[in-house]
Amino acid sequence: MDKRLETTLSILGGARITLEIFLVTLLLSLPLGFLSALARLSHLRPLSRFMEVYIWILRGSPLMLQLLFVYFALPLVGIRLDPVPSALLAFTLNYGAYFAEIFRAGIQAVDRGQYEAAKSLGMTYTQTMRRIVLPQVIYRVLPPVSNETINLVKDTSLIYILAMNDLLRVARTIVQRDFDMTAFFIAGAFYLAMTAVLTWVFQKLEAHYGKYDE
Amino acid sequence: MENTTNSRECMLRVTDIHKRFGDLQVLSGISFEVHQGEVLAIIGPSGSGKSTMLRCLNRLETIDRGSIEIAGQYLAKDDGQGARYVDSEFARRLCTHMGMVFQQFNLFPHMTVLENLIEAPVHVRIRPREEAVEEAERLLSKVGLLSKRDVYPARLSGGQQQRVAIARALAMKPDIILFDEPTSALDPELTVEVLRTMRDLAEEHMTMVVVTHEMAFAREVANEVIFMSDGVIVEQGEPEEIFTRPREERTRAFLRSMLK
Repeated sequence: MDKRLETTLSILGGARITLEIFLVTLLLSLPLGFLSALARLSHLRPLSRFMEVYIWILRGSPLMLQLLFVYFALPLVGIRLDPVPSALLAFTLNYGAYFAEIFRAGIQAVDRGQYEAAKSLGMTYTQTMRRIVLPQVIYRVLPPVSNETINLVKDTSLIYILAMNDLLRVARTIVQRDFDMTAFFIAGAFYLAMTAVLTWVFQKLEAHYGKYDE
Repeated sequence: MENTTNSRECMLRVTDIHKRFGDLQVLSGISFEVHQGEVLAIIGPSGSGKSTMLRCLNRLETIDRGSIEIAGQYLAKDDGQGARYVDSEFARRLCTHMGMVFQQFNLFPHMTVLENLIEAPVHVRIRPREEAVEEAERLLSKVGLLSKRDVYPARLSGGQQQRVAIARALAMKPDIILFDEPTSALDPELTVEVLRTMRDLAEEHMTMVVVTHEMAFAREVANEVIFMSDGVIVEQGEPEEIFTRPREERTRAFLRSMLK
């Protein structure tokens, strides 16, 4: 087989792992972040304090350390996870904490009058959040969420520490084996392609959710 | 107002309500009634507690003592130790008897004018969408804004936004509408169109409680005027009485300052 093609195929395999971790993390951490933001803003003091501590720990320590902790330290208390669930757990908790702060700011930016108008129309808390607050929050948080999402694409490369063959690790292995830098360029191109797609998606989302903003 | 007013159904009864924010006593024993078809204007200096009082009526604020009765049912009842509210689900339903129009309009910016109007009828009253749309269109032509049906609020002038807000409140077919300084955020020329809409409503015998700085409106449209200051009702009566023969010195001083 052509060497180039073989290299590309191997990297493609790595890209699949990267993409899987990325997508699952995103799907889990966005709702987690939103619920955490609500809990963080709750009037129930213990709940709010708990979220504050969660956010502080997860944002305040290296993601790499969190990965190692989940994989190597949790087994000491009897929780033994495979590399993929370990990575997903650490990534989801970490990004959930970042998204929580983004959502919190977004929720707080919604005018009090919006809640009052909804209440005066007899809407329930759930209706108010889902139909009035959330759509406005989504529009406001899209730019910072877009930033974090692009970060996530690149942060996935940390899973090499759990011996997972993600995009970057595969590329590095090939480079070390063949003494040929091409793999790095191909890997770089993959990352850029993914972020290009994301940038495009977020532009579309902003246009969709922002159509009321004249 | 004619004596017939009192024979009409009592839509709102407020009895001896008290409210404090921390150390600040904002309401100290307010009582009044509003009957069906009546327009009650509440005037008074800034900080007199009139907006807070209005917001207590539909649970945007809670009262500490006293009772509030809406269309014959208690929202809060004083048991001698303080106001006891009915359970929140019942309160939510009870308060849908009342619409509210805010100083800052508070339209939902992410929804078109039409969507603003049908939101609560469809999701709170659970009316069929087509029916709600039909009613919304009728209300929009009533306030002269049918042509703005599919426009987002940001594209409207303040006066137009406020008329949409009035239509939105009407779409719930409320028994009473509360107006919290509805023209205070508007330029004088836009104030006129909003007051005209409110005047039309009064002529159709909509029951209204209006906190306002528009003395001419209070005088011409209201059946009853309350002058509030420092959390109490200083004087209450028909507009002619209050505006031409105020009994209290505080009322006189306030009216003088408003005429300047």
